[in-house]
Amino acid sequence: MRKELPLLITTVFGLLMVFGRWFWLGQLWGIESITDQWIIISNGFAVAIGVVNLTQLHGRNVQRRREHWPYSLVLIVAMYGYMAIALYETVEGPTATWLYDGLFTPIGSAMFALIAFYITSAAYRVFRVRTREATVLMICAVITMLGMAPIGEVLISGWHSVAEWGMDVPVSAAFRGITIGARLGFMATAMRIILGLERAHLGGYGAS
Amino acid sequence: MLNPLMILADLPPPTWGIFAEGQVIPFLFGTAFVVVVYVLISRARAGEPIPEIRKIAGLDAVDEAIGRATEMGRPVHFGPGIGAVSNAQTIAAFAVLGYVAKMCAQYDTQLIQTNRNIYVYAVNEEIVKQSYLEAGRPDAYNPDDVRYISGFQWAYCAGVLGIMEREKPAANIMYGSWFAETMIFLEVGNIVGAIQIGATTNTAQLPFFIAAADYTLIGEEMFAASAYISKEPVLRGTVVGQDIFRILIFAIIIIGTILQQIDPEENPLARILTEF
Repeated sequence: MRKELPLLITTVFGLLMVFGRWFWLGQLWGIESITDQWIIISNGFAVAIGVVNLTQLHGRNVQRRREHWPYSLVLIVAMYGYMAIALYETVEGPTATWLYDGLFTPIGSAMFALIAFYITSAAYRVFRVRTREATVLMICAVITMLGMAPIGEVLISGWHSVAEWGMDVPVSAAFRGITIGARLGFMATAMRIILGLERAHLGGYGAS
Repeated sequence: MLNPLMILADLPPPTWGIFAEGQVIPFLFGTAFVVVVYVLISRARAGEPIPEIRKIAGLDAVDEAIGRATEMGRPVHFGPGIGAVSNAQTIAAFAVLGYVAKMCAQYDTQLIQTNRNIYVYAVNEEIVKQSYLEAGRPDAYNPDDVRYISGFQWAYCAGVLGIMEREKPAANIMYGSWFAETMIFLEVGNIVGAIQIGATTNTAQLPFFIAAADYTLIGEEMFAASAYISKEPVLRGTVVGQDIFRILIFAIIIIGTILQQIDPEENPLARILTEF
């Protein structure tokens, strides 16, 4: 029953979702909207699992004074500290808002900003002309980058249009090809799960 | 609870009496797909030959990556993307995680598995535990190695970067729905000297994987993983069905393009596909 029951639930809900999408009656009953609401509700409960896991892992790190344990301490203090503040004055209270807007958001933005530097270092490695593919990649990248920057148009009139054509036609066509293949993959995966052929999500990697 | 009468007011009348608006073609396409795959599965079950799946270098490289980590005595990092548990890419990652965990258990190599989504974490914990059990090494399973980091994208990113810097994995397997954090992970993986395998269908991230990872599974390749790894003929049948339909779609695109050139205003194929 450990595997059969989840498989049965998966199949029933999989078929129900298909019914809710394709058939008029399914849309009338609002099956998709109802299940969306269930997901939102269960998300609330799932947060507790995350808190428990973080507490167990980092609590053990602190307790056993494992390497880098002060980081774990910072995490526990930050997590429970913010939770306490938010419970005391709600998440929209002044301190909670200040912590979120003044600390969390800028840290997130700083992480995002790192991409620029990492793209540069990756580009340096990739564009070193070692193979034929790398050469093609570099030529295409130079054409596109200069075409998208104002300097390209200054150097050669019409460069921007060439770069834009490259993005809109060959790149777009390749991306759409990948997307079509991926969507078929989605369908095949969904079918394998609904039919109970793929059971990796129940543990291990064994098929039926 | 939703009121059907309220929905009825906004709902267009059914097509052919039963179908929702614009869902006839998806229904026919989906049904045809099920029939083709069913035929292939039946053939596979009956022991009749079905086409082989071509070699997928990215999946073959998983063994190499784990072997390298074992030789170096360093851990393997597996990230299932930052998508929800219902995301097909995340589901595709489950099969690969099971395989990676089993291999790591057999070779006694530490597997660090990080998660952004709490549901994905719960499923992955079960997969890893079960894989260690199947490998006959339940004692080697360490619950601390399957980690929930954070529900926020950049907090997850920061957490994983910290792990990679501190624990220096020799292999970094990124298999799933990845977004802006892709490049950061790959470059840090490169800095710590990890062999990197990436797989996603998010086209905006694919160039980053191609540029910075050692092996990349593009698009539908990642969905062939469970069939490829398990070598089950039944699962292979679904992948072959996928390929047959890709050829069918390609033919439809060619026909549609020709019809569009003949009469751009009255393309019958476009009309059928958009109306139904």
